[in-house]
Amino acid sequence: MSDRVFNIPASGYLDALRRNGVDYFVTVPDWVQLGLHVRVEQGVEGLNLVRCCNEDQAVCVSAGLRIAGARPVTVVQNQGLYACVNTIRAVGLDAAMPIVFLVGQFGREFSNFGHDPSQSARNTVKLLEPVLNALGVKFWRLEDENDLPRIDEAFAYADKESRPAVLIVGSPTGWN
Amino acid sequence: MNLLQACAIIEKARKDSILVATMGAMFAFDGLKAAQPRISSVPLMGGAASLGLGLAIAEPRRKVVVVDGDASLLMQLGGLATVADRQPANFVHFVVRNGAQFTGVANLATPAESCVDYAGLAAAAGYRRTYRFDNEAAFAEHIDETLAAAGPTFVELRVVTPPPIPGAPLKMEIPELQFHRMGAEARALSTWLKEHPHG
Repeated sequence: MSDRVFNIPASGYLDALRRNGVDYFVTVPDWVQLGLHVRVEQGVEGLNLVRCCNEDQAVCVSAGLRIAGARPVTVVQNQGLYACVNTIRAVGLDAAMPIVFLVGQFGREFSNFGHDPSQSARNTVKLLEPVLNALGVKFWRLEDENDLPRIDEAFAYADKESRPAVLIVGSPTGWN
Repeated sequence: MNLLQACAIIEKARKDSILVATMGAMFAFDGLKAAQPRISSVPLMGGAASLGLGLAIAEPRRKVVVVDGDASLLMQLGGLATVADRQPANFVHFVVRNGAQFTGVANLATPAESCVDYAGLAAAAGYRRTYRFDNEAAFAEHIDETLAAAGPTFVELRVVTPPPIPGAPLKMEIPELQFHRMGAEARALSTWLKEHPHG
């Protein structure tokens, strides 16, 4: 049995967001990322929280912020990403805006940690990567602390290519 | 008051406010040769208010003027609460109410046209000020007040619906521009904001 720990602390995410210059946390809250949400709700210097009622709004708010020179991260869950596919098409693809997402894999079986999400029995989980592939949106999996540099890769890619980038949060965020 | 008259009043008064328009209003502002700072939410019904909110948050010293459609607003009614949660003082949200979808082409009825109260919804969501206008003279008289007041402000503009043009989609291919202009305008607006800092 592997002793790999599928848990990235909220502090690890915040360090990564900080070094990528993120100043706005635009969100519809996600179960998988609750540790991070709670930490941001408590107040993080230099990181402004924008609460949205749905993911279409989160994408558009992020776009407006980005146009005006801010550096938002858009934090949602897999169901929310499915809900805002047309807005990603319009804002991220047609308008070529570099929206960077953290997307929680809500509903993922613990037994699936460390395995390919396509092996999940749940559509909510296993459809995420195929949907992103169909959209032509690049994604990175975040499974443990060793994956944190992928956050830097995603921001660099979005900046360079003016494309959306999705970081898939595969397991619950640590509350530390 | 018709759509062009309403948009002309806004365009004349907005000065260097950022204009975020969608649907019929976007074409009316095109006809008025509205220039930067502006961006269109297209083809994306419902996106204008949230796009404008992001701009208003990042540019707190500059006014943001959103010109939405009634059916577009209905698609994102929760967006009223998203705006209200931030209470952006520099945010003015106009909604052009004509009670129709595919206006001037098919004029399909907008849901709840007979009973919905858009300004009432905005007030209940938490907008600081709301207004309603249905004639050109009254709107022109109050436009400066609506733009100057601390927001978030919501303005419902009742406009007449032009007659439909049966069969128009058979002859009108959607132009390529409609799929690229939001990106081009985003880049132009971003550049404009860098060249005109702090409003």
